[in-house]
Amino acid sequence: MTELWEVLTEHFPEFSSGLWITFRLVAFAFVIAMAVGTLVAALRVAPVKALNRIGGIYVEIFRNVPLLVLLIIAFSGFPRAGVSVGQWAAGIGCLGLYTAAYIAEALRSGVFSVGKGQIEAALSLGLTYPRTMRRIILPQAFRTVIPALGSLIIAMIKNSAIVGGSLVALPDLLNRTRLVQSRTFQTDEVFFWGAVGFLLLTVTATLAFRYLEQRFAIRR
Amino acid sequence: MSYLFDPDHWEWVWTGNNLRFLFEGFLVNLEIALIGIVLSLIFGLLLALMRISKPRLVSFPAGVWVDVWRNLPLILIILYLALAVPTSWRQAYADGIPEFFPDALQDELVLGAILGLVLYNSAVLCEIMRSGIQSLDRGQFEAAASLGLTYRQQMRFVILPQGLRRMVPATVSQLITLIKDTTLISIIAIPEIIGHGGNIISAASFGGGVQAPLLQVYLMIGLFFIVINFSLSRLSRRLEIRERERTGTTLKRVEGLEDQVALETDVAAPPR
Repeated sequence: MTELWEVLTEHFPEFSSGLWITFRLVAFAFVIAMAVGTLVAALRVAPVKALNRIGGIYVEIFRNVPLLVLLIIAFSGFPRAGVSVGQWAAGIGCLGLYTAAYIAEALRSGVFSVGKGQIEAALSLGLTYPRTMRRIILPQAFRTVIPALGSLIIAMIKNSAIVGGSLVALPDLLNRTRLVQSRTFQTDEVFFWGAVGFLLLTVTATLAFRYLEQRFAIRR
Repeated sequence: MSYLFDPDHWEWVWTGNNLRFLFEGFLVNLEIALIGIVLSLIFGLLLALMRISKPRLVSFPAGVWVDVWRNLPLILIILYLALAVPTSWRQAYADGIPEFFPDALQDELVLGAILGLVLYNSAVLCEIMRSGIQSLDRGQFEAAASLGLTYRQQMRFVILPQGLRRMVPATVSQLITLIKDTTLISIIAIPEIIGHGGNIISAASFGGGVQAPLLQVYLMIGLFFIVINFSLSRLSRRLEIRERERTGTTLKRVEGLEDQVALETDVAAPPR
C-alpha cells in the first residue's frame, strides 16, 4: 500500500501534467468536433441532394477509419507531401475530425426529431429557412442530443489516449504513465494511477452530463 | 495534390506482393477481432445477467466491474496487460492454443491483446444488452412469471430473445468499433496491418523494390477498414429496418457508447 502512494507522490508532476494535457487535448478537439460536426450535420439535412452526399461521405470516411490510422496519415504522411503537421495539430485535428463524424450524426438525428410540424409552423409564420433553423430547430435539436454528446465526450476522453500512445507521442496521461513505468518498473502501481486519472475525467464527464440532461434535455 | 496522385507513388500497389502482404496483415486484425467478438459477446451476456440479477451481492460487484472497465481507454488496458500478464499465463496460452488456429494467434503476445479487447468490450456489450433487456415492458416479465415459468425459463424464452434482438444494431456498431480498435495492438508490436504497412515502406527504402510512400500505404489501409466497416454497418441497418417493421420497436440509448447515435438517426429520420 505504501508503495502505491510513493509512486504517486514521487511522480506527481508527470501524472498531473499528463492529466492536464489530456484535458486540454479533449477540450480543443471538442471545439473542432462541434464546429465541424454542426457543419456536416447542416450539409446532411440541407434540402440539396449533392450536399447531403458530401456530408454522408465525410461521415462514412471518418467513422470507419481507425483513429490510429488517421493519426499516422496526418502526422507522418502529410509531411511527405510537403505539409508539415505538428504534434498538437495532429492530435487535436484527428481527434476532432474523427469525433465530428459522430457529432454530425447525433445532431442530424436531433434535427429530425424536432418534427416537421414545427418547421412548417415556423415557415408559415414568415420566418426564413436559416432563421427557422437557428431559432426553432437547432435550440431544440441541441437539447435533444445532450445525452448523446455526453457519450461522445466520454468516448473522446478514452480515444485521446491513442494520441499519446501512437507515434505522435503527445505527452498526455497515457504517455506519462508509460514513461513513469519505464523508469520505475512498478507496472501495477503506475498503471493504477494512470487509470485513476482517466476515470477522474470520464466519471466527471458522466456526472456533468447527467446533470445537464436533467436540467436541459428534452425527452422524446 | 500532385504528390498524392503521382502514379509513381502508387506503383507499389500492383508491384510484387505488397498488396497481398498488406492484406495478410489485415487478416490478422480480423482474426483477432473475431476471437474478441465471440468472447466479448459471451462474457458481455454473462455480465449483463449478473447485473440484472436480484441479489445485490452479485449485481453490485458486476456493476462496479463494468463501470470501471468501460470508462478506461482500451489502449491503456492493452498496454498494461502487455506488461503485466505473467509469463506463466503466456506460456500456458502458447501451449494451449490449438494447432489449426492461424499463425498470427500462436504468438504469446496476442494473449494480452485479446484479454484487453475482451475486458473492455465485454463491459460495453454488457451495458448494451442490459439496456435492451431493461427497455422491455414490465408486462413481459409479469406475463412470463404468471405463466409459471421459472426465472431461467423466463430469461431464455421470453426476455433474452426480445431484449437482445432489439440491441442488434447497437451491438454491431460496437463490433465495428472493436474492429477499428484492433489496430491498437500494433503498439505492443504484434505484426498486424499497421506493422505490415511499416514493413512495406521500409523494405522499399532499403532498396527492396518499388518505393512505397508512407502516405499512400496508410491511405490504402484506411480504405481496407472503410470497405469492411461500411459493409457491416449497411448489413446492420438492413437488419434493423426489418426488425422494426416486424416488431415496431424503437432503439434505446446506451450510456457511454461511442457509435449509438448513428443508429438512432434512422429511427428518428422520417421518410423523405
